[in-house]
Amino acid sequence: MKNILLFAFWFLVGLITLFLAIVLGEAGAWYLAWVLGTVMMILIAATGTVILEVDDEQDRPY
Amino acid sequence: MQELETVIALSRTQFAATALYHYLFVPLTLGLSVLLATMETIYVISGREVYRQMTQFWSKLFAINFALGVATGLTMEFEFGTNWSTYSHFVGDIFGAPLAIEGLMAFFLESTFVGLMLFGWDKLSRGKHLLVTYMVALGSNLSALWILVANAYMQHPVGSEFNPATMRMELESFTALFFSHEAQAKFVHTSVAGFLTAAIFVIGISAFYMLRKRHMAVAVRSFRVAALFGVFASIGVICLGDALGFISGEGQPNKLVAMEGLWETAEAPAGFNVIAWPDQEAMENRFALQIPYVLTPLVTHSFDGTITGARDLVHRAEVRIRDGIPALVALETLSDNPNDRDALRTFRIHGDNLGYALLVKRYAPDVTQATPEQITQAARDTIPPVGPVFWSFRIMIAAAFLMLGFLILATIYSLRGQITEKRTFLKIAPWMIPVPFIANEAGWVVAELGRQPWTVYGQLPTWISASTHSVGYMIFSLVGFVAIYTIFIIVEMFLMVKFIRKGPDDGPLPPAEPAVAAPGHTSQWSQA
Repeated sequence: MKNILLFAFWFLVGLITLFLAIVLGEAGAWYLAWVLGTVMMILIAATGTVILEVDDEQDRPY
Repeated sequence: MQELETVIALSRTQFAATALYHYLFVPLTLGLSVLLATMETIYVISGREVYRQMTQFWSKLFAINFALGVATGLTMEFEFGTNWSTYSHFVGDIFGAPLAIEGLMAFFLESTFVGLMLFGWDKLSRGKHLLVTYMVALGSNLSALWILVANAYMQHPVGSEFNPATMRMELESFTALFFSHEAQAKFVHTSVAGFLTAAIFVIGISAFYMLRKRHMAVAVRSFRVAALFGVFASIGVICLGDALGFISGEGQPNKLVAMEGLWETAEAPAGFNVIAWPDQEAMENRFALQIPYVLTPLVTHSFDGTITGARDLVHRAEVRIRDGIPALVALETLSDNPNDRDALRTFRIHGDNLGYALLVKRYAPDVTQATPEQITQAARDTIPPVGPVFWSFRIMIAAAFLMLGFLILATIYSLRGQITEKRTFLKIAPWMIPVPFIANEAGWVVAELGRQPWTVYGQLPTWISASTHSVGYMIFSLVGFVAIYTIFIIVEMFLMVKFIRKGPDDGPLPPAEPAVAAPGHTSQWSQA
């Protein structure tokens, strides 16, 4: 039951995200670009630290 | 009339001063909140203590900046009512809603979660605390969104119509207001400029530590996060700035000619004035250094577009002023007799140019008696002060490209593991911290001074927007604001320097959690 509820929750989140993406993509493309771009920048910055930690673990300079 | 002109000049100076002070704090809040969320995300995913130390350290600097940003922003909300009462009456229906939402975002969403973020480390689970930090980032940027929606209306009024019965603009479409291209481009450009500001700030301070070999674990990682974050922000801010310039140029051609120092209409391919010495009186550039062919694609996003120059825009404004005069006369009739059908009909025909007729009222109180010279003078007023706008624009552009180059180098050095060896670069980095702040202020000057002579573009001239205070009152309040805000800046600088000198609370690092790090592994910089 818990898994079904969890699935339903995330499915709802997915639907809302899709709805927002469609509405923003149609009427507010720059707003959508900001959302996607900011998330991308966060992920890329976080990925940079993953590389740093790998270098650190292998005793390469970083 | 002379006293009115002085009061308007003082009202403008006061708003400009408070806005420029406030805008020193805002971009750092916008960007640092997102960087904090990034750092804490890494902490929650990796479980490494160093990222918690990082987040907590930058949170302290964020909190100082945030507190002063809110304090300086408060007065501006009231200033609209106290110093710009005609403006507030004229567009209160439209401007009030986003301004109120901005206040709610800043004080309820953002400020509430800031408290939880700063003091909730030991009271909330990791996931919940991360959610709180994201809410702070979202709150600060949504707060900026709403004030920029309001500002975009001043630049490009859409979704509203003037009602001659109430003598004010009334909102017709909230979605048109919220989704206007000006609002969208303005928000993304400003927000990402904040990201860039925060990245340069973090890099500068991290470099300061690396030079002194202090807090190396935090400094090296902060540098890496900020460099990658910042390099994309700098690319974004330049692209989005171009988009904003294109959109604004279509809606406000008068601002565009001031930004480019363009007096004559330019057929393709037009040259770009890299530097020039504009003479507003003579409507020409005394000196100009041009790059050929560049301006047309830059401004029109095509290779065959025509860019209308200031002289032709003045001629257009003269036509609009003449067309607007019957609307103003009709409006004065309607204010005495709201049921006068002839006046209402006349207003409907000429109402689109009412704002232009208000420009000439400055020189001819009875607009029906306005001379051709007075109309020409009013039309020339539609060109904003070209020199300050032109040079502010170039300062902003130069700063943006300087930061792009700096961040590309920072990213390369960081990714190659060479950053701690690049001592010259590390010495330069702290001196880069003022650059984004200068660019932000210059951008604000371009946007707001470039909108003159209007408070609401094409609708309401600045000269009739202010309240009717006495000169003494305005001087007293201006001096008060400048004095208090200068103290705020000094307090901010003092606290920032104090906490930066102290650095993060980074004792010896415990080993990372077994699930995410090699057992028993110790960081290269863990004891630094």
